[in-house]
Amino acid sequence: MSTRVPTANFTIGPFFPTHFVDTGCNDLTRVGERAARGPHVLLAGRVLEQAGAATANTIVEIWQPDANGLFAHPLDPRGKDADPNFLGWGRAATDRDGWYRFRTIMPGRRVYNDGRARLPHINLMLIASGLMRRLTTTILFADDPNAADDPVLDGIADATARRRLFARREPALDDGDAKAYRFDVILRGADETPFFAD
Amino acid sequence: MSTSPQPPAYDIYDDRTESGWRIDGYPRTFTRTPDSPRVARALTLTELTGPFGLHRRLRVDTADLSRVRPDGQRAQGQLIVVRGRVCDEDGAPIAGALVEMWQANASGRYAHEYDEKSLAPLDPNFIASGRFVADAEGRFSFTTVKPGAYPVPDSGHWWRPPHIHFSVFGPSWMARLVTQMFFPSDPLNPADRILASIPDPAARDRAVARSVPTTEGRDDALVFEHDFVLRGHRRTPEL
Ligand SMILES: [Fe+2]
Repeated sequence: MSTRVPTANFTIGPFFPTHFVDTGCNDLTRVGERAARGPHVLLAGRVLEQAGAATANTIVEIWQPDANGLFAHPLDPRGKDADPNFLGWGRAATDRDGWYRFRTIMPGRRVYNDGRARLPHINLMLIASGLMRRLTTTILFADDPNAADDPVLDGIADATARRRLFARREPALDDGDAKAYRFDVILRGADETPFFAD
Repeated sequence: MSTSPQPPAYDIYDDRTESGWRIDGYPRTFTRTPDSPRVARALTLTELTGPFGLHRRLRVDTADLSRVRPDGQRAQGQLIVVRGRVCDEDGAPIAGALVEMWQANASGRYAHEYDEKSLAPLDPNFIASGRFVADAEGRFSFTTVKPGAYPVPDSGHWWRPPHIHFSVFGPSWMARLVTQMFFPSDPLNPADRILASIPDPAARDRAVARSVPTTEGRDDALVFEHDFVLRGHRRTPEL
């Protein structure tokens, strides 16, 4: 039984230190001396507010499994097999045109203990001036979003809204062997990105 | 026999004890807050886990922000120590929690390009931000100067009271916390539209640090105590 109430969240305000988005924070493929396992992908997109305006200096954080769908975390029964050279976490800030960019590993597919598979996915959260609480969503990867099944889609009835959770291949942004994917975040407006209550 | 520990339970955010989404005089809270209700979902392993060993990516800084070098000149302002504990809703310590903080200097100026319109002076001897790792009991402590108040531009005479910004990483994606800490008995606190946006008075009070009596504190700095309670509690046993 819980005894203490969680501390209230507040906006980061306009002055989140620039150096907290350290050089290298948005490259998840290398955290130590050795490179992480798995195919590299580029993940990029714009974070837009009302009327499609760009949000500069939105802080975008991601969390994802490794190339085999594993987490180096005590709660993962297979965590001991997770890639020791992959932290799974990254941070980027949007530029003046609202763009964020990550280089990471294509997350692996994984069937959990309850027998249901999660699609390859990357958890994404946003903190920004004017957002009083973090916003969370999930980026899904699938060849055919219309045929795809994932538990997070269960609560979203509208097919158009469901498709907004899928990253789109963007070959024009490919970098060598690294395939590029685009995921825009629409904070507000007709094409709003679905965000989760948790 | 080897089984993974039972994950904590995470309740949906309680709007009564959280800050409000839209704040008068803060236009971005209107243009950036989504219209649609946020979607409920069942949590799976990916949300119940989170990065371990973040210090491999985020460099941990000095715990004394009041001077740039150990033998350097002190920053302007009232020297203070802020100390506290990171715990979960059961009060259990979050050992190794990574804590980031940033603040205005004693004059109410941020060392940030977006604060260049401020008339308040920068202070070359002040570091203004820090990153710490909580110890085995979840405790952290750092030395800084008390931040100054600052006006919110074009807001109709709204001033932010002295406050320190914090970003805390716990054991899971769900436990992530981004917050602000306020100072006790500041006359600007009741009128602060951000602090006042929390509906529950007790929750507002918990966003304010405790002043440690000088007889129990230190000779060289005023001491403030503040705990961070991250989301997550043990599951109620099934009957
Ligand atoms: Fe601030």
